[in-house]
Amino acid sequence: MISKKLALLFLSMTLLLTSCNNDDDDTTTESLGDYDNGLLITNEGNFGQGNASITFASYDLSVVENNVFNAVNSRALGDTAQSITFNGDLAYIVLNVSNSIEVVNRYTLQSVATINTVLNNPRHIAFANGKGYVTNWGDGGVATDDFLAIIDASTNTIETQTISVDEGPEKVIANGNTVYVAHQGGYGQNNIVSVINAATDAVSTTVTVGDVPNSLRLDSNGDLWVLAGGTPSWTGNETGGKLSKIDGSDYSVTSIDFAGTEHPSFLALENGTLYYYLSGSVYKMDADDTALPTTAELNGLNFYGMEVKDNVLYGVDAIDYTSNGMILSYSLSSNEETNFATTGIIPGGVYFN
Amino acid sequence: MIRILFFVLLLCCYSVAKAQTSIDSIQRLDEVVLSDVKLKRYNEGYKLTVLNDSILRKNGNSLTDVLRFNSNIYFKENGYGMVSSASFRGTNASQTAVIWNGININSQLNGQVDFNTISTANYNNISIRSGGGSVQYGSGAIGGTVHLSNDSDFTKHINHRLQLGYGSFETENASYNVSFGNNNWSGNAGVSYVNTENDYRILGTDEKNENGAFNNLDLNLNLGYVLSQKDVLKVYHQNFRSDRAFSSTLLAPSNSKYETEDYRSMLEWAHVGDNFTSSLKAVHLLEQFKYFENKDLNNYSKGQAKTWLVKHHYKRNVSKNMALSVITDYSYITAEGNSYVDPKRNAFSATAILNHQFSSKFRYNLNVRKDVISDFKSPLVFAGDLSYKLGEPYTLKFNASKNFRVPTFNDLYWNPGGNLDLEPEESFQFDLGHQFKILKSIQLKLNTFYIETSDLIQWRPNAETNYWNPVNIANAKHYGLEVELGYLKQIHAHYFNLVAAYSYTETEDVEKNQPLYYVPLHKGNTALSYNFKSFTAYYQHLFTGEVDIIGGSLNGYDVGNLGCSYELNATGKLNYILDLKVNNIYNTYYENVALRPMPNRNFNIQLTLKF
Repeated sequence: MISKKLALLFLSMTLLLTSCNNDDDDTTTESLGDYDNGLLITNEGNFGQGNASITFASYDLSVVENNVFNAVNSRALGDTAQSITFNGDLAYIVLNVSNSIEVVNRYTLQSVATINTVLNNPRHIAFANGKGYVTNWGDGGVATDDFLAIIDASTNTIETQTISVDEGPEKVIANGNTVYVAHQGGYGQNNIVSVINAATDAVSTTVTVGDVPNSLRLDSNGDLWVLAGGTPSWTGNETGGKLSKIDGSDYSVTSIDFAGTEHPSFLALENGTLYYYLSGSVYKMDADDTALPTTAELNGLNFYGMEVKDNVLYGVDAIDYTSNGMILSYSLSSNEETNFATTGIIPGGVYFN
Repeated sequence: MIRILFFVLLLCCYSVAKAQTSIDSIQRLDEVVLSDVKLKRYNEGYKLTVLNDSILRKNGNSLTDVLRFNSNIYFKENGYGMVSSASFRGTNASQTAVIWNGININSQLNGQVDFNTISTANYNNISIRSGGGSVQYGSGAIGGTVHLSNDSDFTKHINHRLQLGYGSFETENASYNVSFGNNNWSGNAGVSYVNTENDYRILGTDEKNENGAFNNLDLNLNLGYVLSQKDVLKVYHQNFRSDRAFSSTLLAPSNSKYETEDYRSMLEWAHVGDNFTSSLKAVHLLEQFKYFENKDLNNYSKGQAKTWLVKHHYKRNVSKNMALSVITDYSYITAEGNSYVDPKRNAFSATAILNHQFSSKFRYNLNVRKDVISDFKSPLVFAGDLSYKLGEPYTLKFNASKNFRVPTFNDLYWNPGGNLDLEPEESFQFDLGHQFKILKSIQLKLNTFYIETSDLIQWRPNAETNYWNPVNIANAKHYGLEVELGYLKQIHAHYFNLVAAYSYTETEDVEKNQPLYYVPLHKGNTALSYNFKSFTAYYQHLFTGEVDIIGGSLNGYDVGNLGCSYELNATGKLNYILDLKVNNIYNTYYENVALRPMPNRNFNIQLTLKF
């Protein structure tokens, strides 16, 4: 009974918010396929074991379907599902160890194309100027072969020309014709954001941020928020995290430092509020705040990924990395867990479809 | 004469007691010719399966293949010829110990043995001892132990064997072995090489096994010298080099390769006194690997471990029927590599073994061992075994033991993650065996076992640090049943030999309350051979049941191999053997590790010259 009420509440909230939503996502209330109006979750699967999968879940987690790519396309997805990026009606699923990208209809998950050339250790994609920019580590042990691969979004073919970038490009986000690449560092550590001009496909500048930048968010002013986790202690050169804002016009940086042993991750941004994850807790702060919050909103978590939408926080828990994981939802008004569901193995990314 | 006796001994490891005088001389002879006396002497209550020369030559030079088709051990092989690890009675990859001439050679870095980095070409025999053996063989001897033996032959002889082969997927192999001896000297030297493209077709697709090429070189040299009536000096050396590309999986391409090198050397001085024997061994082991993520670049990560070991075995005959052994060893181990800061380990162990032949029917052994290791505390382990001959055809065997596996250098020192607070894994187990010998032609072994392992070391993500740590976390139970049947039949000049083995293995991950991954509930293998004068034909069959894997299961399968050989000029000084073999005759699609298909039907032809 309670869950039914909750479902209705969520549904009404979703309707309410989608109607005044100005995302470039296609937002119609009519279902465009089985997997419209819900979450897509990437389950990385075990490295080298080819058991990556996609889970679909309704926003209230009452309807959950695992292994949807395999079910729709009657074949295995691939090895190590790293990320999903939407562009128009398509979703691009990056498979890190398979060195491939599965292009599917985002609502039906029907396969449209498979891109499996040029890529080498692909991670994430952003779209700008009709092109998809794919971050690639190259060989993990080589610091000088990292690059962005370029996909022609109209044909879903990959260009042989690539953009050479600094070590360890990871998250990537686009604002108009400006593409920002966070250099988390691959197997090592890096501390820059590369700025690429999608008109010329050249690196226009690099901006220094905190060590090991792990998340990027754009705000409504066109400024870029970068959360850096800091260098881990095992390197013998530990540094704390750093939250930075890069001005979208002049790339000037303002930052707030975490303590030297604090390593935050999973930055989310909604309606001027920032959320991040640190040592099993979720913190929130106003984007205008000049100091970090001292008390957590949620505690006792074990997240491997996290997103916020419509005042609901979704976290994924990989548990022991060899069993099915979980997705959990929390109301950010009451800070209570609202629901949970079983996913595939090592759920990592949550995407709103 | 000595040689004949020696072969008889090899064939009947559990031979019934003979007159006391002959036992003495046999035991004294053992010290001289055997490299691993313990294996023969203190195992009355264990199941021992000896694979002799003729079996070893039927499966190329791959230890994985030999054991897959001739034992209960399941192999997780990452595609043919790639990294291969054992699951013995359902235990994990680091719970089977491999013993080279009496010395434990499991990797100091990861505790495992890659069974595709051991060639069978240059061993006299390979034995499989089922059950816990930590007291005698140290860390990792939980499921069982696999023994590689080079024995000495001090009869006057010189024999050469040259083998040349060619097979599917551009597989070339060549080996040469010379064995010689006289009253004072014995020796054998061998070299074995295999090189293959290994690009077998993936059944049901148009694809081939990509990036699977490999080559292996094995060098062996063993010498024995009789110093005096009472003293023998022996030298053993073995070197294995392998250069393997790491094959792609069905879903992930690969461009990487792996180079490994192992050097193993041992000097042994055996002294046979009037009522005692003593053996002093000095051993050096070196293992190293280079992993190339991209095989076209000279950019690799590496690891290396060196072991220096001194081992003394003193055995005193307390009475006619009772012997006491004291074994002490000291080892110093160092490692280096990209992920360690020069760790070192000092280890000392002391073992006592009481061997008692209570009557001609009843024998037992009691063993106890304590290790003192520099980087953690090690448990006191013990073992007891007995054999009781209840009647002419039937012998009852029983053994119980406590065993351990020490944390490896990776577990302790890997950066990041290495955990210095780890403790050894422990197991407690027992095994009840029945052996029947009927009419000299039928031999039946039936074993039931129970193994409980605790404090199993597993790498787990650490939410605090964001990287993985090994922790003593899991517990497991294993129990099962094994049946082994041997049948020999002669009709005039026609010889038939049937060997069949079946195992039923239940496992449980106690924490998760589910079976362990990659353990087949059922596994069976059989080999049937027929010989008439110079002609021999044989068939091998392997059935492996379904195994659980993370998030799913792998299908069971049946694979059969068929071979025949013909010996030319069998009575002459130089004889030729021509051998033709078809592997996987039914063209079965199968995987031992998910997404890593094994070869389709393939052919191999061998020419062996003996002179």
